[in-house]
Amino acid sequence: MQLFIYFSEILGRKVADSNYNIIGKLCDLSMSPSNDVFPRADAIVIKKGFFRKKMAFIPMGDVQKFGKTIVLKIDQSEIKFESLNKGCEFSLGKVILDQQVVDINDQKVVRVNDVHLLNVDSQLYLAHVDVGLRGLVRRLGWSKFIDTLVKFFSPQSPYLTDEELISWKSTHVLAVGKVGNVLRSDVARQKLARIPTVELADIMEDLDVFEKLSLFKTFNADMQHRVFADMAPHEKEELIEQLDDKEASHLLENIPADEATDLLHDLPPEKRRLLFRHMHSKTSKELRKLLGFAQDSAGGLMTTEYLTLDQDDTVADAIQKIKDNTDFAGNIVHLYVVGEKQQLLGATSLRRFINEDPKKKIIDTVYPNNIFVRTDDGMEEIALLLEKYKFSSIPVLDEANVIQGVITSDDVMEELISLTWTKYKDQI
Amino acid sequence: MKKLFNIIKNSVPIRNLALFLAVMGPGIITANVDNDAGGIATYSLAGANFGYSLLWSFIPITIALIIVQEMCARMAVATGKGLADLIRENYGVKVTFYLMIALFFVNLANVMAEFAGVAASLEIVGISKFFSVPIAAFLVWILVVKGSYRNVEKIFLFACVFYVAYIISGFIAKPDWHEVLKHTVTPQINWTLDYTVMLVGLVGTTIAPWMQFYLQSSIVEKGINADDYNHLRLDVVVGCIIAPLIAFFIVVTCAATMFESGISIESAKDAAIALKPLAGPYASMLFSFGLFIASIFAASILPLSTAYSVCEGMGWDAGIDKRFEEAPEFFWMYAFMIIVGAGVVLLPKFPLLSVMYFSQVGNGILLPFVLLLMLALINNKEIMGEDFVNTRSLNVITWIAVVAIIVITIVMVVFTFMYSSKVTVI
Repeated sequence: MQLFIYFSEILGRKVADSNYNIIGKLCDLSMSPSNDVFPRADAIVIKKGFFRKKMAFIPMGDVQKFGKTIVLKIDQSEIKFESLNKGCEFSLGKVILDQQVVDINDQKVVRVNDVHLLNVDSQLYLAHVDVGLRGLVRRLGWSKFIDTLVKFFSPQSPYLTDEELISWKSTHVLAVGKVGNVLRSDVARQKLARIPTVELADIMEDLDVFEKLSLFKTFNADMQHRVFADMAPHEKEELIEQLDDKEASHLLENIPADEATDLLHDLPPEKRRLLFRHMHSKTSKELRKLLGFAQDSAGGLMTTEYLTLDQDDTVADAIQKIKDNTDFAGNIVHLYVVGEKQQLLGATSLRRFINEDPKKKIIDTVYPNNIFVRTDDGMEEIALLLEKYKFSSIPVLDEANVIQGVITSDDVMEELISLTWTKYKDQI
Repeated sequence: MKKLFNIIKNSVPIRNLALFLAVMGPGIITANVDNDAGGIATYSLAGANFGYSLLWSFIPITIALIIVQEMCARMAVATGKGLADLIRENYGVKVTFYLMIALFFVNLANVMAEFAGVAASLEIVGISKFFSVPIAAFLVWILVVKGSYRNVEKIFLFACVFYVAYIISGFIAKPDWHEVLKHTVTPQINWTLDYTVMLVGLVGTTIAPWMQFYLQSSIVEKGINADDYNHLRLDVVVGCIIAPLIAFFIVVTCAATMFESGISIESAKDAAIALKPLAGPYASMLFSFGLFIASIFAASILPLSTAYSVCEGMGWDAGIDKRFEEAPEFFWMYAFMIIVGAGVVLLPKFPLLSVMYFSQVGNGILLPFVLLLMLALINNKEIMGEDFVNTRSLNVITWIAVVAIIVITIVMVVFTFMYSSKVTVI
């Protein structure tokens, strides 16, 4: 018994029942959609008839022998053939064979010519996908002919020994079509969850537009937001342009507002308007406001995601607020105490009140000086203030001292790095 | 001033026009490339031998062309994949492989015909083919290898303007417009063998298999998505009207001159030469200029389109922006097409007629398979999604068109085998 067999070798093999009556041909394998590293085949799919095709699923447990003819343990009367092609969740023939997969190690998209199955304890496991020329020739049924030919002319040819197999562990199936999408992403998700999002973003960078899009669509919403956050700015822009407006605006709503603003800045006004149409009115109003500021001013750099407290709140309220917002995208260490009209009364930080009496008013823990910038302040002033007071974020106020947003040090850092780069590039 | 700018920016028709201009390209280019060297030869023969009597066929041809091309455009935006990709993913390696082999050789024959067209058009003005063909091959190579898709598209769109040459030469030929109009709207079927063969030839040369692959891939490459579908459809329809319109004028030109004077021709080159005494040097020059543009245009697109389709189907890396080591199969195929396609034209005893014959039969045999696969794909909800799948009424129209095209191409293939001398052109 071979340890490894190719899917193409068993495709079309005759299937016989326990009395050795031929009942049909193997036409597919149904894989178990569990989150094992190597999916196991849980049933073979056999078909009979040509014009009126009928199919049957036979659990692997009922297979007696995987030889030239596949022999079953059961009698043909026990097999129920159905004419409707209901398909299974994870069909090897439909989901893997001939489809495009991402080779995660080499970061490129390849087409699956054949599937390499591991055969142990009369179970079949999906071990590798074959993306090489040999796989292609094997599928065409010319393997022996071509092998003889190559052996005759050039016995040392690398063609004879080069198998281009990629471990299933390092492949990811691209989404195909709209309906297929949903099923396939379920199978793939667990595997992708093990790959850091930064690396996924890197992989995305090497794909072409549509490959990128179909890979992106296999991610679930949470993963989409995280991968998106790790992508390079121009990559984000390209993706936003490719996604349909609804998906794109949904994505923009779920990333930090300052990043969304930067992206919107670079889009044509027409597209921007379409995207706003699909957003919640609150988000779109905020983003519109942020867009109104110059990109390198405090107003352009700030995010509208920050935590505020009323002046009557206590330390316990503040701690509860932080606890409620641990998955909040913005800064949760700094809290801003505001009056009735959202005017800033003072800023405080976790460090200042964590050890205080929970009943103490939060307004009594604020920093002595009110440190802030105005919406039109330049980046240098912000950087200097952040450095001087060693703050990780600083509030942005308008003329009436109403809080407009917050700038965090990483936003400034990002801007400074790109400035330094431009200067550095000029020197060389 | 700013107010005026805002008014312009916010006006719906202007915005739509801007969006259309951004999407425009694939449909118009594909349809125009269809008027290649072989096409022009067929149209010239149709006009010179049968006068205005075949003009009516352009209306059904246009409708069929629109139906077929629109399906490709819809598949492209719905799936973001090329036709070869879709066939491979849904019908497996074997179908794809043999289809691609056939496509490769049929297109190779077409490329040879295009370079022969370049040679013929320049020989009229006295430029030797040993000079013109290598330069044309080099130009084709440099245009595609050194250009980006967007730049190449702009050049191609610009080249489409030159097809106006045929419209102008149509007017110079001074046809009897009343007659032209009458024959355009009144179908007349003359069941003589020659007439039927010619009719079949017209359909066969206008709807070719490679167009479906090329159109779909270029829409995908341009990255047009579902939001822009309406503008894309307009682009396809406009292209599918312009191309038969040009063909129409070629037929009119030849009918008004050669047919009226009873001069028989055998190729597009003959037609250009015959125009000189009949319609003056300008008409003749415009005609051969059009042939040159059409040939070089198609010669730039066919090798590229073939290499793309085959690589797509077989799962090899492809793309002009890749390095040679990354996509060796793609570059080998592309180079082979150009070198062999241009090279054979220079051979002293090059059997051009047999090659044309082969390419026409090949196109005819391949087309039914491609159309049937397309129909199966576009009716698959799983691939197309609810919004883009064919509706029932559209399916009826499509089936009628496809069956008609298939019957006609089968008839053409049979005729080509039986009366090869009548159908082969140039």
